[in-house]
Amino acid sequence: MTTVGNQLPLDGLRVLDLGQFIAMPFCTMWLAWLGADVIVVESRRRFTSRTAPPFAQGHEGEPNGSGYFNLLYSRKRSCTVDMTTAAGRDIVRRLAGKCDIVVDNFSTGVLEKLGLGYDSIAQLNPGIIMASNGAFGRTGPMRNARGLHSAVNLFSGVADVTGYVNSHPRILGGVIPDPLSGTYSVFAVLAALHHRQRTGQGQFIDMAMYEAMMTLIPEAVIDFTLNGAEPTRTGSRDRVKAPHGIYRARAADTWIAISVESDGEWQAMCRVANRPDWQTDPRFQSADGRRINVAAVDVLVEDWTRERDVHEAVRDLQSAGVAAGPVLRADQLLDDEQLNERGLVITTDHPVAGKRRQLGIPWRMDTLGIDYQRAPLLGEHTREILTTLLGIDEHAYAALEADGVLA
Amino acid sequence: MIGEPAPPAEGPLANLSVVELADGTAGPYTAKLLGDFGAEVVKIETPAGDSTRRRGPFPDGKPDPEASGLYLYLNINKYGVSIDIDDPAGRAWVDRLLDRADVFVSNLQRNVLECAQLDPETVRKRHPRLVVTTISPFGDSGPWAQRKGDELVTFAMSGMAYGTPGMPDAADDLDREPPLHPSCFVGETIAGVVAATATLTAIHGRRRTQLGCHVEVSQQAAIAAMQIRDITNASYTGKPPNRLLNPTTIGRMPNFYLPCKDGYVTVTAFMDEHWDRLVEFMNKPAWALSAEFSDTLARTRNWIALRLKLIEWTMTLTGDELYALAERAQLPIFPFYSIRKMASSEQVRERRSLVAVTIGGRPARMPGAPFAMRKTPWQLRRPAPRLGEHNDVFLRSRASLAS
Repeated sequence: MTTVGNQLPLDGLRVLDLGQFIAMPFCTMWLAWLGADVIVVESRRRFTSRTAPPFAQGHEGEPNGSGYFNLLYSRKRSCTVDMTTAAGRDIVRRLAGKCDIVVDNFSTGVLEKLGLGYDSIAQLNPGIIMASNGAFGRTGPMRNARGLHSAVNLFSGVADVTGYVNSHPRILGGVIPDPLSGTYSVFAVLAALHHRQRTGQGQFIDMAMYEAMMTLIPEAVIDFTLNGAEPTRTGSRDRVKAPHGIYRARAADTWIAISVESDGEWQAMCRVANRPDWQTDPRFQSADGRRINVAAVDVLVEDWTRERDVHEAVRDLQSAGVAAGPVLRADQLLDDEQLNERGLVITTDHPVAGKRRQLGIPWRMDTLGIDYQRAPLLGEHTREILTTLLGIDEHAYAALEADGVLA
Repeated sequence: MIGEPAPPAEGPLANLSVVELADGTAGPYTAKLLGDFGAEVVKIETPAGDSTRRRGPFPDGKPDPEASGLYLYLNINKYGVSIDIDDPAGRAWVDRLLDRADVFVSNLQRNVLECAQLDPETVRKRHPRLVVTTISPFGDSGPWAQRKGDELVTFAMSGMAYGTPGMPDAADDLDREPPLHPSCFVGETIAGVVAATATLTAIHGRRRTQLGCHVEVSQQAAIAAMQIRDITNASYTGKPPNRLLNPTTIGRMPNFYLPCKDGYVTVTAFMDEHWDRLVEFMNKPAWALSAEFSDTLARTRNWIALRLKLIEWTMTLTGDELYALAERAQLPIFPFYSIRKMASSEQVRERRSLVAVTIGGRPARMPGAPFAMRKTPWQLRRPAPRLGEHNDVFLRSRASLAS
C-alpha cells in the first residue's frame, strides 16, 4: 500500500535493526515507511517484540500472530540469526558492514560483550552511524539500571507535573518514553547522516530515554533551578488560560476538553451555555479573574457539560470560536474522521493476522512519498539477505542452517 | 595553548539555513532542534514578540519579556529579527531571508500566513527548493482543518489524555479521576520533534528530487502516532482501552504504583522469578506464602488484597531504600523522583543532562541535549536573542548582499 506515488525520501538507505520492545522498533518503523531498507535481526532465542500479548485470535503465543511485532515491524525484512553463536555474531558483524545505520536498545554493555559494539563495527565500517538507546543512556552511574518506561517517567521529573489538584504525582500515559525516544532517534540518525554526507564521518549516538522525556518539562525545570519553586499538581489547569480543563459529558466516561484563551472566547462560551449570569459575574470578566476563581469556573463549566452530549457540546463551542474537543480513546482514533481524512489510519494485510489498522506517518509531503507494507514472517528474508547481501552461497547457507545458526 | 578549550565542533546540520516565523512551543521547538544541532536559525518575531516571552517562569515571578524561562529555552542557538509582516516592506525582508534559506518553519495560523503572502503555496512558488514545514492543530485538510485547537485540545484528541494516568498507574475511580493533561507542553513538544524529524526527511528527499517540499504536520496526528501501545491493543483485540486500575488494564500482578514512606514507587514482579525474589526480600512474610498468592493466577485474582499487603510493606521503607533493595535483587522497582531530586542526581550531573544558563542575570539550568552525538556534540552556541537583536546583521548587510 503506497500512499503517495512520489519518490521515497530515504530510498537507498540500509538499516540494521537490533531493537526490541518499542523504542527502537518504532524508530526503524518510521525509517522503513520513509523508504529505508530495514533488516531486523531476530531469532527463536530472541523474539524482539513477538512474545507480548495481544495476539491475533487463534494465534495466541505464535511469533507471527503478535500484535506488537506485526504493527511495529511494518515494511521491515526479517533475518533470523542466533547471536549467541560465534558464526551468528560474525554474520551480524558482516551485515553491519553493509549498512548505513545500526540501532539497538539492549541493556548497556550487551553488544560490546558480543563483539558488536560501535568500536568493533566502526573498524569494519568507519562510516557507520549507530544509535544506541537505553533508559538512562550509556554513561553515568545509572547506565546499567533497569528502566521500564514507568521508571523513565518517574526519574525524568515528568511525573512531578502530572496529577490531580493538590494530589500526588501520576504516570503519564501511552508508554510515551518509548515512542518519544524512538522519534528523537529518527531525528538523530538523519542529522548524523546529513553530517556524514558532508564529511564522510560516521558516529555513535547515545540516547537516554529520560533525557528525551525531560524536554517535555522545561518550564518546571527552570522554575525550580531559577526560583527554587517546586511543582504543585493542578490537574489539567493552565497557568494562564481559564477555563482549561477536561470535563464530564453526559454519557458515562465521556469527556470534553475546553480551553479558553481570551475574554471574547469566554463571552462566546457563556452564550453557548446560555448563561448570561456567568457573562456578567464580575469574578469572571478577565483572564486573571477566571484564573484566580478557577475552582468556581470549573464547577460551573462542568455543571453545563455534564448535561450535554460530548460531540454536540464540541460542535456548539467550536461554532462559537472556542477551542474544544472530545477526549478520544485509542480505538476511537482508528475511526476518527479527521485522522482518516489525513491518511494517518493505515491498513496492512498480514498472511497470519489478516487486515489490521494502525497509525502511520503524522505528516504529509507534497513532493515525497511514504510506503506502508505488512510486517515480515519470522525469518522470511533470511535466505535472500544472506545470499544477496553477503554473497553466501547455497552450500554455505545450508551448513549455517544445519548448525542452527539461522534458527 | 595548553588548557585552551578546543574550538566548538560544527554541528551535524552546519550547512543548513532555517527561517522561523512561529510562536509558542511547537514551531519554535522545531527550529530549536535544528539550531541545537548546528543549523543557522533566524527567528522572525513580530514587534509584539513571541507569546512565550510573556509566559515565564521569570526570576521571582516578575514579568520581563527578556527574562522568560520558556522563551529563553525554546530559542537558544538562534538569531533573532523583528519584522512587521503586515507591512509590505517587512514582507520583502522575509522574502530576502528566504532567498538564502533551506527551511521555513511556521506554526502561525494559515490565514495569518495568507494575509502576509507567506502561505506554503505562495512561498514555494517564489522559492522552489525551499522545504516549508507548517504545524497546525489538526492539519490543513479534513473536517477539523478550520477548527480551533491548542495544547489541551489536541492532547485530548490524541488518545493520550484518556491513557493518563498510565501503566502501571491507573484510575481508582473513573468519575473522580478524569482523563488528565500534565502541566507542560507535551503535545506541542511532540509536534515540534515530529516536525523537525519531518523537515530532515524532506532535506534528504530534496537531494534526490532537487525539489522543495511542503511538510505539513498535524499536532493531533503527531501525538496520536505515539500511542502505539493502546493502538496495538485496539487493533488486535477490538476492545476499547480500560483506564480503571484492574488486571484488564494492567495485566498480571503485582504491577503497581504504590505509596512508600517518603514518596511513591513502582513494584513490578508478576514473573515468578521476580515474585520469588521479592518475597525473599520482604523476609518471607506468612501472607506472601499463603495459598491466596501462591501463583501468578492467584496473585492476579486476589490483586486487591495483594496491593494492600504490598503497601503495608512499602510504607515501611523510603524510595531510596526500596531502590537499593531492587538493585541487589535485580527487581524492577523504581521510586518517584521530584524535579529537585532529579536535578541533583549524579546521573544528571555526570551526563550534563541539564545545562547552566543565565535568566535575568540569575543562574538557572535547563534541559540540554535530548541525545548525545559523539562526533558532533550538542552545544549551547548562543543564548536566545533579545527582540530584534540581530536586525542589524540580517536586515541590512547580509540580506542586502543577497539582493
